Amino acid sequence: MKPITRIIRGIVAVAATAVLSLPAAAQTIQGPIEFVIPFGAGGGADIEGRLLAEEMSKVLGVPVVPVNKPGAGGAVTYTYVKNAKPDGRTIAWNSTSILTTTNIGNVPFEHSALDHIGQVEYQPMPFAVRADAPWKTMKDFAADCQKHPGKYKIANSTTGSATHLAAIAVANAIGCDVIHLPAGIKRRNATVLSGEADAMIAPLTGAIKLAKAGKIRLLAIPSPKRNPVIPDVPTMKELGYDADILLFRGLSVPKGTPSATKAKLADAMTKAAHSKAFMDFAAKNGFTVETLSVDDFEKVLQAEDAKVKDIMKTAGLYHSKKK
Amino acid sequence: MSPDVVAGFAGASLPGSLVATALGVALGLIVGMIPGMTISTGIIVVLPLTFVLDPTLSIALLLGIYVGGMTGGSFSATLLNIPGTPSASATAMDGYPMAHRGEGGRALSVAIIASFVGGFFSFLCLYFIAPALADVALRFRAPDLFSVVFFGLTVICTFAARSPVKGLLSAVIGLVIVTIGQDPVMGTARFTFGNADLLAGVHFLTALIGLFAVPQLVDNMIAIARGQGDTRASTRVGSVLPKMADLKAMRLPAAIGSVTGAFLGILPGAGGPIAAFISYDYTKRFSRNKDQFGKGCVEGIAAPESANNAVTGGALIPMMTLGIPGDPVTAILIGALLVHGLAPGPLLFMERGDFAYTVIFSFMWANFFNLAIALAGVRLLVKLLAAPKALLMPTIALLCVIGSYALRNSFFDVWVMLGFGLLGIAMRHLDMPVVPLLLALVLGRQLEEHMRVALTGSSGDVMVFFQSPFSVLFLSLSVISIVWSFVSERRSGRPRPAPSS
Repeated sequence: MKPITRIIRGIVAVAATAVLSLPAAAQTIQGPIEFVIPFGAGGGADIEGRLLAEEMSKVLGVPVVPVNKPGAGGAVTYTYVKNAKPDGRTIAWNSTSILTTTNIGNVPFEHSALDHIGQVEYQPMPFAVRADAPWKTMKDFAADCQKHPGKYKIANSTTGSATHLAAIAVANAIGCDVIHLPAGIKRRNATVLSGEADAMIAPLTGAIKLAKAGKIRLLAIPSPKRNPVIPDVPTMKELGYDADILLFRGLSVPKGTPSATKAKLADAMTKAAHSKAFMDFAAKNGFTVETLSVDDFEKVLQAEDAKVKDIMKTAGLYHSKKK
Repeated sequence: MSPDVVAGFAGASLPGSLVATALGVALGLIVGMIPGMTISTGIIVVLPLTFVLDPTLSIALLLGIYVGGMTGGSFSATLLNIPGTPSASATAMDGYPMAHRGEGGRALSVAIIASFVGGFFSFLCLYFIAPALADVALRFRAPDLFSVVFFGLTVICTFAARSPVKGLLSAVIGLVIVTIGQDPVMGTARFTFGNADLLAGVHFLTALIGLFAVPQLVDNMIAIARGQGDTRASTRVGSVLPKMADLKAMRLPAAIGSVTGAFLGILPGAGGPIAAFISYDYTKRFSRNKDQFGKGCVEGIAAPESANNAVTGGALIPMMTLGIPGDPVTAILIGALLVHGLAPGPLLFMERGDFAYTVIFSFMWANFFNLAIALAGVRLLVKLLAAPKALLMPTIALLCVIGSYALRNSFFDVWVMLGFGLLGIAMRHLDMPVVPLLLALVLGRQLEEHMRVALTGSSGDVMVFFQSPFSVLFLSLSVISIVWSFVSERRSGRPRPAPSS
């Protein structure tokens, strides 16, 4: 063996021993937990996920290590976690992407191929226009848009993403033909500010800074009830339109994880979500902490999955490859 | 003064940020000085660190290396007649003759002070131009951005290569590689052969480590094996205190160098070496004692040294306002910012104005530290020129592996890095520049995204690229730059200096 390989092996061995010999306070979960984030470092999913992982680590007494495995709208992460050993040491930080990436056909399975721990938070996806746009309300936009079919452009994060589906739902609800602009997460806000897109659908956490700075106006949210972070913005339902789609985040584990382990994780998740650090962060950034037990979360998943399928079918995006 | 400016200044002036900046400068001076190591190598060394550090600290560290590296190159150029970085090549023309006369300290003090003048001038450009340009850039739409990126890419191709054909070829290879992975708009897998690792595409930092560090390591290993690895030169420096007469003689060349450097820095791809040679030529043309050039005169050192440091601030302008890197170093800076979720671009000033100004003021501090550390530590630093490379190279090899692994926690990326290493060695032997390939990897995805968003918005009408004045302007500039490079190659036949960092 060459000296350099010997040195590398030595370093690896020492590091591995150091990690494995950390005190394992939890009885059911031994050793570090891999907390897999389906999107790139620095985005909303990443920042929120890292904070939750840190708080969960405090509750569980074992390291919860955030690892980003971005790609294919979350497909890389869900495939990785689905195939991991079901011992509670690999968790997916899921979101509505677990429904969109499956139904658009990036992976040959549905969200039910994983076991779920529960919901952590949700946020609305407001419909926003530039602050100096002529439309003061959703009604204004709807009326104008019906008069000019195929004229107005609505920006979203990418084709098939939750924001795209929400934009389709809103356009369908107001009975209007629009161009969906797949501007991307980085450019979405800028396209509205430059006037290239007339409106956008963004997660509230992505739009709140510009809304507070008075650069954009939030016209409505496609949610069942008003959001405490933006109490003045009406829901689509109040305005008489039927559009309702949610951006949620929660935890999933490989199928077949023992129920004692799942209960332990659910407990840690709930405590971490209600920690002061996480609650403060939520209030500041515009998402709502609402932990749901696994049974309630399964109901949310099923309801949202049906909505995602419906919307995708109207737009010709549904390509489920479930085997 | 806006609160963002104050917050930015405070962020850059925290003790931690200052320490990071100073460390970066010291490291930059060292890697810049040692022949066979470039600024890119220095940045690759600290890259794994930047994933875990706070973004303010990582950017301070990286900017320190960028600024320090530009100056460090002049040490070996002056003392050994071997430029530590390509940007210092012009400095050797007058620096070495002066040092050869026994005035090494004088040559270095001129180089260091000229570096500071150039760097500080480019800081002022950055501070005043970047926020204004960001406001303009905010009005750019997808067709405009497509044309700006397209222009950037063509300029890089034409500047980076001795032969424009080789430059364009290199960029095309990069554009082909960038299509691997997920379609940026629809999310469809392309050229992945069902491999989950390929789905996320080739990360440009992985490619960069392979393309830049591996060929350098191989070259250095060959030199060591042949017993030519170590440079045993006299590193006697003498006094580095600047003389009043020298400062006076520096005024004109430093002014020419600063302006040329800052302007060429804004243009993508031009970079330090070209700026240094151009300002050397201009200074010579305007100087009263032309015959002294090449024999070790103060002006001949001050002009290129102020120019290559002025490039740094210039290059930061398109990086921060448009998210378009002009050289490998700014590409790395973008990568390091993206890791922390800070996307450089026009919105950075609006959404994270405090951070944008932190970057600008960290750059200012880097220039002050560069002056102080280089003047005070030059005698100590040049001793490192005699450090045995046999110790240095294995460390860098190890860091290449760690850096490419840590990026996405994937060992697959380490193989990708080694693959790019082989490609880099092949390209070096074919005299093909790697910079266009690398920047095509960075810009290719943006190019495609902007084009497809533009075409979606126009329902597929190509005319959208010719309807906006910005877009037409940049497309015309692209055509001019390509035509110009072929014409100038034919007319001169003389190889132009090829930049790389």
